[in-house]
This record gives sequence, structure tokens and C-alpha cells, in this order.
Amino acid sequence: MPSAVLDFAFAAALLALGAALVHRWRFPPLPAYLLIGLVVEALEPLPSMGLLLLLFSVGLEFGPDRLRELSGRVVRAGAWDALALPLGTLVGLLLGLDLKAAVMLGGVLYISSSAVIAKLVIDLRRAAEPESEVVLGVLVFEDLVIAVVLALVGSQSGPVALAWSVGLVALYLLLGRFLAPRLVDFMEELSDELMLLLGTAFTVGTAVLFHEVGASEGVGAFLSGVIAAGMGLRERIENLFGPVRDLAVAFFFLTVGAQALGLLAGLEPRAVGLVALALLYKLPLDALAGRAAGLGPRRRLLAAFYLVPRGEFNLVLGALALQQGYPLVSQVAVLLVLVSVPLGAVLIRFGPAWTRGLRLKPKPGAHEGEQRPER
Amino acid sequence: MKVEEVVLPGVGHKYTITTRSGDKLVIVVHNSGKRELQYFEGGGPQPGDEPTAALDLTDEEAREVGAILAGVLFHPEAVGEVKTRLAKLTIEWIKAEPGDPCVGRTLEDVQREAQRHAPEAHILAILKEGHALIPNPPPDTRIEPGDTLVIAGPREAVDAVRRELARHAHP
Repeated sequence: MPSAVLDFAFAAALLALGAALVHRWRFPPLPAYLLIGLVVEALEPLPSMGLLLLLFSVGLEFGPDRLRELSGRVVRAGAWDALALPLGTLVGLLLGLDLKAAVMLGGVLYISSSAVIAKLVIDLRRAAEPESEVVLGVLVFEDLVIAVVLALVGSQSGPVALAWSVGLVALYLLLGRFLAPRLVDFMEELSDELMLLLGTAFTVGTAVLFHEVGASEGVGAFLSGVIAAGMGLRERIENLFGPVRDLAVAFFFLTVGAQALGLLAGLEPRAVGLVALALLYKLPLDALAGRAAGLGPRRRLLAAFYLVPRGEFNLVLGALALQQGYPLVSQVAVLLVLVSVPLGAVLIRFGPAWTRGLRLKPKPGAHEGEQRPER
Repeated sequence: MKVEEVVLPGVGHKYTITTRSGDKLVIVVHNSGKRELQYFEGGGPQPGDEPTAALDLTDEEAREVGAILAGVLFHPEAVGEVKTRLAKLTIEWIKAEPGDPCVGRTLEDVQREAQRHAPEAHILAILKEGHALIPNPPPDTRIEPGDTLVIAGPREAVDAVRRELARHAHP
């Protein structure tokens, strides 16, 4: 038997053990996966595949077609939240990075993890809360912004690569918008296995195509999900890929752990400072975003807590930064995931209890049933 | 009743139902098929408010409950042997008009006479105008014009009672 199979069995068993342990304490499993990733060696190609499938499912769920389904107040919240990108870029420029690295840094500081947060919302049974609705809507916004950022900075240097990258992203977005809806009837005929195989082949194939022309393969996988959603396959693929995606998420965190060990050896003190900044500066912005969405003071704070975890796109940006010779950005990206996922999990798990005693005066304009009429 | 639907990307759909009584029911239909139900008495969710009651249903359970709520599965008749027996029986609502032979008499009196004509018929209840239904009415209840008698039994027996009690209504 190839030794990779043994490694795989070992890693899967450790992941299961970690998930079982934290489950006893009603704590989400993601931080446990992350810690296990620090001790288990990554088993290619599973982690890379995991990241691609994860980005595919993020594209499927959080694709730009969702924007039409969001209410105006969520879009306003998304706009406040998006201020984090130019602010982060400004910080990068002030640190003396060139424009491309600064934009990458801005993206790293800005983008929260749709996959991690959606999973935390489900695991911690917060789906019914008013702030979850706002947070998940804001994530749709973030993912669209970061796809555009990745199209611009994801290419290797040179105008040709940039043109390819932007062109391919635009092409895929147009396909998702105009061609995919015409294929709905055809896709409905296909069997489940065929769908699973086609979906995987399409996702990985797109990633390879993007990589070959010098664009970001992560954004390719994301856009595959967007196209699948356009074909009216969202519900079917959710059911089909749900378990595959959960497995992918687990192995994705192994990559984070493994990358972290390699990168953090030459850790710059500036990177630690930037991670602290990233965790702090989005809190007030997201509280303002919550206010724009009409949440009361306590729920604004909770919404800001929810948006702490960084994940899949940080790794995409981190890998790109390393490849293009910006180790600082890469370190910040990976360290931020390592720190923000457990921290975010703790904040989301215990935030409601901590803020319960918080009696901030609600503003008269706030709705969502925040003010209790005196009875 | 007010129903709001919101998409929760990556999670599912959320429905917020405010009933006429002002209570709120939040139903989250997860992509996995799970249904999460939360009931808030008097309109929550308030800051820090836990739902009054919460329930998780599997997809199958939710469909079953939904069918019951929609009235799809509700059969008024019992099943099996009882059903065939019930089919021969009937329930009639008979209104006592002024001048009917039964008006002004006690229930005991009326029942005795009905028994003579049709021993299988039973007076189950009386509905007096402006009052709640009186099930198993006491024998000394006096029948007044406008009262409605609920009578059960085999069809012939019930018809016989009706003829005796309310001749004017059905000449």
C-alpha cells in the first residue's frame, strides 16, 4: 500500500478525533483542524484539492448572483465593510510596499472567510439571529470584491498576463450570467454521479487553465462555482458536494497548519503588528456596517465578531504573494488565518453571553426588534 | 399573519412568521435539509433573548409535520371497522322553532319521547343562542325557541326524532 494512504488514514483519524473532542464542549471543529494541521504533514494533492473545492462551494453559495436577493440595507452594510480594503491598502503603502503588494495586503486584511463563518453560524445554531443575515450578506459582497482584486493582482507581472487574467475573469462572469441559464434544462437531465464528476473536473480544469495563463487558480475555482450556480444547480450541488466540501474544509486547514510552520520560521515583527491591526480595525467598520443595516448596538458588535475569521481567500492571496516575492504579505495572510479562526470561533461562541449584560442605549432608528417595548 | 423570507448564503433560507397573536416563529431551512424552528413569545428576538422554545427537525420529519399543518393528512373519520360503522350513522343539527312540540319542555321529557320513537338516537349537545355549546346537557335543561339540538344515531332514527321534535321546520 502506498505510504500516502497511511498518511491519509492517520490525518483523517486525527481530524475525527479533534472534531469529536471539541464537539463534547459544544465548540466548532475548525480551530481543532487548524491545530492538527500544525502537527500533521500536508498530504498533497488533498489539501490543494480541498482548497479548490472549498472555493468552488464558496462561489456556488456566495456568488454575485446572490446580490439580487439581498436587501438594500445589507448592501449598505457591505459598502461600509468594503472600506477595509482601501484602508488596508493605504497601510501597505505607508509601510513602503509597492502598489501591487499593498493591494494584496489590503485584500488580506479585508477578506473574511465565507466558508468558515457560514460553518460557524450553522455549528453554533445562530442561523435564526438577525445579525447572521447581515453578516452572510456582507460576505457575498466581500467575495465579489476580492474576485475583482484577484483578477487585478493575481496575474504574474506583465501586461499580457494581466490582460489574460482580467479577460478570463470577465469571460467566466459573463458565462455565468448569460450562457449558464440556457443550460439549466440540459443539466437537469444528468445523473448525480455525472454531476459530481463533471463538477470536480470543471473546477479543477478551470483552476489549471487559470494557472496556465498566469492568473490565480483560486479565483478560477471560485468562478466555477459561480457558473454552476448560474446553471440552476445550486440546490443539487449543495446536497451532492456538501459532505465533500466538509471533508475539503478539514483538509484545507491541514494546509494552513503546514504552510504556517514553513512561513513563520522567518517571521517579521511587522507581520505580527499587521495581524493585530487586521483583527482590530475591522471591528469598528463592521459595527458601522451593522448600524447601516439597522441592527441594534449589541447585534452590531456581534456582527463585527462574526466577521473576524479569515480563511480561504487569505490563503489564495498568501500563496500569490509568496510566488510574486512579497513574503511579508504572505506571512500576514497565513498568520491571520491561524489566529483569527480560533479567536473568531471563541468570539462567536461566547459573544452573545458576554454582551448580554451590555445595556447600550438603542437608537430610536434601530429596528430588528432590538428595543423591547415596556410591558 | 406576516411572513418574511430571507436568503442566508451558505446556510439556507430563513422565514420569519409573525402570527396574529403577536408571537413570532423563525424557521431556518438549512441546505442540508435540517429545519431549525424557534418560537418567540410576544415578538422577539430581543437583545439576548433566548427563544421560548426551539426544535430541530430532519427533512422527513419537517415534511410530515408540514403535511399535518396543511391538513393533508387529517382524516375526520377513524379508520378500519369503526369507519364503516360510522358511515351508517349520522349527526344532525336540528333547530327548535317557536311552536315546535319540543319547545318549553325539559330535555328529560323530550328524550323520553324520542326514545319511544327511535331508541337508537341520542341528543349529544344543545347550542343555545349566545352561549357556548353545552355538551352532554343536564336532563333539566329547558328547550327554548332558537336552540339547536345535536342528535346522533342511525339515519332513520334521527329522521324520526326530527319529525317528532320539529314538525314545523320540515313540513
